[in-house]
Amino acid sequence: MHFLKAITLAALLGTAVVNPAMAGKADDTLRVAFVEEILELDYNYTTKREYIIIADLIDENLFEINPETNAFEPAVATGYEYIDPLTIEVKLRDDVTFHNGQKLTARDVAYTYNWIIDPESESHPGPGHATWLKSAEVVDDYTVRFHLLNDYPLAIRDLATRVSIRPENTYHVDGKVVRNAAALEPVGLGPYRVVSFEPGQELVLERYDGYYSNSPKGDVPIDNIVIRTIPDIGTQQAELMSGGIDWMYNVPLDVAQSVEGLPMVEHLSGPDLRVSFVVLDAAGLTDPDGPLTNRQVRQAMNHAVNKADIAQYLVGGSAEPIHTPCHPAQFGCDTSIQDYPYDPEVGRQLLAEAGYPDGFPLDLWAYRDRSIAEAVAADFEKIGIDVNLRYVQLASLDQARANQEIPAYIGTWGSGGTADTALIANIHFNATTDRNLSGDEKLTELVLAAEATSDQDERRRLYTEALTIIADEAYWVPLVTYSVNYLINSELNFPLNADGLPRLYSASWK
Amino acid sequence: MLKYILQRAALALAVALVVSFATFMLLNYATDPASALAGEDATPEIVEQIRQTYGFDRPVFVRYFEWLGGVARGDFGESYYWNKDVAVLVLERAPVTIALALSALMVTIVIAIPLGAIAALRPNSWADRLALTFAVSAQAIPSFWLGLMLIILLGVMLPILPISGDSSWQHFVMPAFVLGASSVPAVMRLTRTGLIEVMESDYIRTARSKGYRGFALLRRHAMRNALLPVVSVLAVQLGQKFGGSVITESVFAINGLGRLALQSILGSDIPTVQMLIFIFALIFVLMNLLADLLNAALDPRIRIT
Repeated sequence: MHFLKAITLAALLGTAVVNPAMAGKADDTLRVAFVEEILELDYNYTTKREYIIIADLIDENLFEINPETNAFEPAVATGYEYIDPLTIEVKLRDDVTFHNGQKLTARDVAYTYNWIIDPESESHPGPGHATWLKSAEVVDDYTVRFHLLNDYPLAIRDLATRVSIRPENTYHVDGKVVRNAAALEPVGLGPYRVVSFEPGQELVLERYDGYYSNSPKGDVPIDNIVIRTIPDIGTQQAELMSGGIDWMYNVPLDVAQSVEGLPMVEHLSGPDLRVSFVVLDAAGLTDPDGPLTNRQVRQAMNHAVNKADIAQYLVGGSAEPIHTPCHPAQFGCDTSIQDYPYDPEVGRQLLAEAGYPDGFPLDLWAYRDRSIAEAVAADFEKIGIDVNLRYVQLASLDQARANQEIPAYIGTWGSGGTADTALIANIHFNATTDRNLSGDEKLTELVLAAEATSDQDERRRLYTEALTIIADEAYWVPLVTYSVNYLINSELNFPLNADGLPRLYSASWK
Repeated sequence: MLKYILQRAALALAVALVVSFATFMLLNYATDPASALAGEDATPEIVEQIRQTYGFDRPVFVRYFEWLGGVARGDFGESYYWNKDVAVLVLERAPVTIALALSALMVTIVIAIPLGAIAALRPNSWADRLALTFAVSAQAIPSFWLGLMLIILLGVMLPILPISGDSSWQHFVMPAFVLGASSVPAVMRLTRTGLIEVMESDYIRTARSKGYRGFALLRRHAMRNALLPVVSVLAVQLGQKFGGSVITESVFAINGLGRLALQSILGSDIPTVQMLIFIFALIFVLMNLLADLLNAALDPRIRIT
């Protein structure tokens, strides 16, 4: 009896003293959990996906890419005009203010871009932008001219995605360079401003009342957003069930399915631009006479993998099998190229014709999604290849690949959420990248040519030619597209976009 | 005594040096710190830029001795991952972990010693068997599982305790229990064995003849001698609490040294890993030293020359 009393008392006391910040409509606060730590808030100095999600809330770009149509929409810029092939003139709105109340002018934009491409900035977009942007010039208060080094078709895309605009002289304090000046308290232009930030723990944002009207992001429905790092997905799940958080993402399929049916939780599955694929050492970098230098062997491996089952059972949600070395939603990703249907018998025949009737030993490297790696290895074994699966950390795989020690690996690529084949083609088929195991110079030429012209039809044609070569030569075994699983508070509306980037500003209460 | 302490301190330093060298080499050779820092979708340009910014392109031995030179001057370097002075980072995180480790130790003491005493008073009785069963179960349960079970029970079903974070004392209740429970079996069994042994000694028989019985006998006469080995074990267990905090802090999203260690290892943040390993190694050696000194203080028969 005493025991029962004690338990009851403890429960009552506990309830009285514990006042966990309950998530939900009541205080109009969207509580979000990330597995990743957020260490700084300046997207000009970060790369990971979580930072894109946050930059979307705090910052604005000159243009916004419509996730459904892939069209560039004016954001803080009203429009752009090519004065000549190497000069783009951008007009700015005159009613945009930073979170400190200061008006946005052309000087801020020119300063930001000139700083980004300055090697002294050591900014993350710097090396990429410096390949095409020479300088940014102030014409008048609301006009900026971007001078290009060469004709670069993705210039508007780059102006629409990668650089967060900061007030003039943000990174120059009292004449000194301060690269992390915006790391903790960035002054942005976006719909939310930073209230408090504890790196690695918690970011508190509130709606910025001075946010400009008619922005592509629209009027944000929720007043406050709190982003916390909770490294364990099980703990996140428990927080969601007890009302401690409203939103979690990148949830493993089995975890997401395990809470389906609970009234307080909704499971959403959305597309992702990330694709997975097997890269084969066709160039013979690891073994000049190895079996992978034989086209029939590579074609056999393409017939061997049951991608549909991997998509359905191992990735789930909206995942789809692919036969292209790009995401079908990306510009230039022509799906009419050769497909190798799943047929292990054809695979075995091709291997025999290639002179490997008894197969051959193969080191297959992988760094994520072990279940997919094992399924692919098992499928290769079914046509007689003796696979040694080397499942390692990403950094180890990168290092081994740089040393040309990898005959085949399972790669994945998210294209930074950008729906253009350039984002996956260049890094994998440019002659200078160690990811290029094809050794095909023609392919490199095509991929580079597609980035050297602004003629979109020509770009499409060049990509089709490049993708056709990749498919005919079977340089890759394309696998599947990914999907992203979300678990959210059932009182929340959360629209999903085709590019897979979660846009927290579009969330609203039911 | 002073000589003994100096010897042990020198040993601690030697252990820390060997461990730091091994860690530095492993982190540099087993993985590429530049690509680990850059993340999954980083372009080669960014990886190369990080490599040059942090000097990963320079010989690893040179960098190790530079680091060591810095440490000798009291400069533990700057964290690549957090862009912060490592010493500041560790000092910020340490209070949470110290609080967690000490609360966990309290949990261990409060549960294990009474259980051990009950078991020792009635050896082979149902109470003894029950205590033993509890001890074996506690040893067999992995801490992450126990953590999740407690979260489900006390955080989701009831819910009377906050699930994650470290902003109030209530946040420490579940993690301290999880971290403390793993040490209960060792301490409880040692208490039991120590007490049973002491209870059979002559001076206890004398105390009994003077009319002492039950817990009065334990408290007044038996405990002090029986707890000598327990004190040593508790000191070592406290050291293990710091190491054990890696998993517990991750499960409960507590921002302490354990989580910092995990983040730094995954992110190849060499300066931070170096300092944490250095500190953890030092804590272990110091705790062992403390155990010896405590024993000497508690038992006048033990004299170290």
